[in-house]
Amino acid sequence: MSLELGVKSSELRETKRKTITVAVAGNPNSGKSTLINAIAGSRLYVGNWPGVTVEKKSAMFEYEGSKIKLVDLPGTYSLSPYTQEEIIARDYLITEKPDVIINVVDATNIERNLYLTIQMLELGIPVVIALNIYDEAEQKGYRINTKAMEEMLGITVIPTVATKKSGLNDLLKAATEAAANPSRYAPKQLHYSEDIESAATFIQTHLNEHHSSLQKRYPMRWLAFKVMEGDSHMMKEAGLDIDISLIEQATKHLTRAHGDDIESIMADERYAFAAGLTREMVKRPEIRKMELTEKIDKVVLNRFLGIPIFLAAMWLVFKLTFDLSQPFGDWIDGATAGPLSRLAAKAITAVNGPLWVASLATEGVLAGVGFVLAFVPVIFAMMFFITFLEGSGYMARAAFVMDRAMHSMGLHGKSFIPMLLGFGCNVPGIYATRTLENPRDKALTALLLPLMSCGARLPVYVVFIGAFFTTHAGTVLWSMYVMGIALAILMGVIFKRTLFRGESPMFIMELPPYRMPSLRNLLIHTWEKGKHFLIKAGTYIFAVSIIVWFLLNLPWGVESKKDSYLGKTGQVIAPVLEPIGFGNWEAASALVTGLIAKEIVVGTMAEIYAVEQEEQEETTVSEDIREIGASFTAAVGDSIRNVFATFGVTSISAEEDDSVSGLRTVIQKAFTPLTAYAFMAFVLLYMPCVVVAIAMKHEFGTWKWFGVAFGYQMVLAWVVALTIYQGGKLLGIGI
Amino acid sequence: MNLSMLKPGEKGRITKIGVTGPVKRRLMDMGVLVGEEIKIEKVAPLGGPIEVTVKNYNLSLRKKEAEGITVEAVK
Repeated sequence: MSLELGVKSSELRETKRKTITVAVAGNPNSGKSTLINAIAGSRLYVGNWPGVTVEKKSAMFEYEGSKIKLVDLPGTYSLSPYTQEEIIARDYLITEKPDVIINVVDATNIERNLYLTIQMLELGIPVVIALNIYDEAEQKGYRINTKAMEEMLGITVIPTVATKKSGLNDLLKAATEAAANPSRYAPKQLHYSEDIESAATFIQTHLNEHHSSLQKRYPMRWLAFKVMEGDSHMMKEAGLDIDISLIEQATKHLTRAHGDDIESIMADERYAFAAGLTREMVKRPEIRKMELTEKIDKVVLNRFLGIPIFLAAMWLVFKLTFDLSQPFGDWIDGATAGPLSRLAAKAITAVNGPLWVASLATEGVLAGVGFVLAFVPVIFAMMFFITFLEGSGYMARAAFVMDRAMHSMGLHGKSFIPMLLGFGCNVPGIYATRTLENPRDKALTALLLPLMSCGARLPVYVVFIGAFFTTHAGTVLWSMYVMGIALAILMGVIFKRTLFRGESPMFIMELPPYRMPSLRNLLIHTWEKGKHFLIKAGTYIFAVSIIVWFLLNLPWGVESKKDSYLGKTGQVIAPVLEPIGFGNWEAASALVTGLIAKEIVVGTMAEIYAVEQEEQEETTVSEDIREIGASFTAAVGDSIRNVFATFGVTSISAEEDDSVSGLRTVIQKAFTPLTAYAFMAFVLLYMPCVVVAIAMKHEFGTWKWFGVAFGYQMVLAWVVALTIYQGGKLLGIGI
Repeated sequence: MNLSMLKPGEKGRITKIGVTGPVKRRLMDMGVLVGEEIKIEKVAPLGGPIEVTVKNYNLSLRKKEAEGITVEAVK
């Protein structure tokens, strides 16, 4: 190696030493994310762990002269090699070797939390325990001897109350101190029973002799434990190929004596350690009061009241999410389509810009921006309420109540909320699948979700029902929703036996105590997620809407829509739609634009059938600007009114204007009641819209699941429409 | 006797974890260990899953998973 390179690497080491990497680890529900938010707040950067869709939060900041890089590890109960979260957490600790671990421990539930701590101590990295929710533990009358805890484990313990930001300064001070003196703050090595220790020593000696190169990368004692446990993930990672008979030789007396596998023996040992420590350190009051959580659960999970309370809660979440956000979404939509577009057009005309530039700027760019922004209010509202449900502890109860029903479709209890939100808009529904931990549960939920008839499909139903089914309007509309749900159940059963064959994921879930999430925390969380959507998904959606503008308007100057690229696409597709009752280019083109958002089907039809539209009145620049302000004030008013008038307000109301009633008359000529019904079913079922596609890509990190959804939905829509049309024709109904 | 046979309010001591693989490891990670006392708190309104207390906290699991946990009744 050249001298120059040597200098560089030492410089690198120098800078690395100045930046202290702090990993924050802990059990779910230990208040870890509250603690992170309290420490880093707006400095947090939210992304994903590479290759997976598990969220990664990190922050860089200065603390008393040292540069700190804070990395939030996924909340886990253990460091086993079975769940995505656990693998991420331990791979990070092993490969990135942070300078110090802040281990957030729930002071009200020390024993189970210490089980994870013990596994981290095996790694030899300095650990500082944030003994969080300390106030609640005190209220319960727990007396915790933190000094004893420090002595027994050889680490620093700082009581914290993250919700009140107390203890955080001491915590950071302890962490930087430990990071600066790693040898002094190295945790004590815990000794397990003699037979385990001797087996571990035997394996460790073998590793040191035959795989000495691994010493640089791994703590060898820890690696020996992993080898004993038969942790194939870790052995593969380390490139270890050890003769199984050697491992058996070292462990056979253990397995024989305990009558169990090594992995379980180790879990037992670690828990025995945690139990012992807890006994020494924590004094609980003799008589236990009935706790608030128990009291609430007596009602909320009651055999008779459980379901009604759950449904009421869900109804409230649904109403609030959509009622609160809809006026703002409409405002953004209206402002970009109306006054802002007019302002842009005026500006372009003023500088003598060509007509196509004005069209691209308003109908392409501005419409695209408006389209992205219109989703922001609903995404924010959804994130807010989902975070509230999770933070308060009710999410786990909702899953508990609904699991039986959802499990029969191959889903998880937590799948219910994303599905429910899907009725308002599939997009927040897809994002809400992040509450599901298991990748299989999550994917299946997202696949079935587009069958929930969203608000954007309603305008299509309204037009067609108004044209053909006025006498049975309610029944026909209802049948669309029921059809979606019934087909979701059917597809769930089919997927369970095909794409998702095999053992369904387990349901072993903590029911955490109820806690009131702080508003600050809710807002930070909501903002992080919303921002992420805006940047990641927004770019894609914007690009797509530009492409669509080109599709609709090129070749520039076409007289008839039939000659535009869109019309030509429609003509190509039309024959495929022939057997299902609407094989004409008009319907086909409308369906193509529906891929942007299903409600656009109506707008395109109006345009294609050349329904006369109201001429827009001339407005001045100041009028346009005033209109944006006035409509915003109106939106705020509507939103507030919606919250108070939650009872009786219809969330999804289709707007009706003159163009709609004009469209009805045209449609009555182009369709029959039978083809109209087949068309409605087709709109309900055919491919998810492009925003859902982008949300799926965003949430899963791959286009794969969208591909599956696209494929099965197209086939399903075609088959269902075919059955309706051909069946109806055969029976002579509605021709 | 397995865990799913106990009624709400009844307690048992775990004598064997009959399941294997990831489910077993997960149960043990959550503190469901041989020798541990476990109490049935509730059955969900639709007849499952069940809620238990173990190691001083509340855990829920499906009946199928509870069937794999052998217990002896404790008064």
